[in-house]
Amino acid sequence: MIIYFGPLIFGFLLGFILGTRIRTNPESGLKFDASVYLIFIIVAFIISYLLGPFPYYEDLPLANGFLAAAIGIIMGKLIFGREKIPQKT
Amino acid sequence: MSTILKIFVFPAAMVVMCLGVLTILGGHITPGGGFQGGAMIAAGLIFCLIVYGLKESPFNLSHDFLSAIESIGALAYVFLGLAGLLFSGFYLYNLGVDLYNIVPASIQAIFNYSDPTNAGIVPYLNFVVGLKVMVGLSAIVYAFLAFREYGEEAVDEPIEEIE
Repeated sequence: MIIYFGPLIFGFLLGFILGTRIRTNPESGLKFDASVYLIFIIVAFIISYLLGPFPYYEDLPLANGFLAAAIGIIMGKLIFGREKIPQKT
Repeated sequence: MSTILKIFVFPAAMVVMCLGVLTILGGHITPGGGFQGGAMIAAGLIFCLIVYGLKESPFNLSHDFLSAIESIGALAYVFLGLAGLLFSGFYLYNLGVDLYNIVPASIQAIFNYSDPTNAGIVPYLNFVVGLKVMVGLSAIVYAFLAFREYGEEAVDEPIEEIE
């Protein structure tokens, strides 16, 4: 079985770029804790299975670019997505 | 906005963004591509902006980030096109990675987009167009929201205080 790394790498890269931008405001009443991301990754698995692979891609029964993007968002959030520093007024 | 929307929208926006990424990645074999995928990612960002507002949105795109990604997208597109012009005489010619057999096999293996259709530079073009469209459309909505929010504050204040 050949695994095609193109969509995996570029999907992860795009997701990572988006994940680094997740910066919650500490002054806000909204709290997005780990459960939000856990639900998101479970939903992403289900959606990628239902979407199926691209035409000509027969390596995995999943939409691997979708899953790579979801993992990239979470990794980007974990590595760079810190809390926003409150602005002085 | 209602509490239900505030709970639902952030994960839903991430799912919409992942669908946008998938649309970008399948641009060379399925309907869609850089523009459509970038617009879908921007739709996720705009979804968050409308529901949470400019200050409380979990996605924070700074001015530096927007300008950097826009510049990277535009320049990468131009340089990919110029590479085609340089090596074949046609702008945006689909060169692939083997340029007149002068590129070593190890470098070809790194830059070759691993794909069953051997699409050449088309996935790279989709990727950079997706980046550019994503920040372009988001920047418009950011600007409108900021004009509305900070513009009204500026109008209310006397001119001396602004200066």
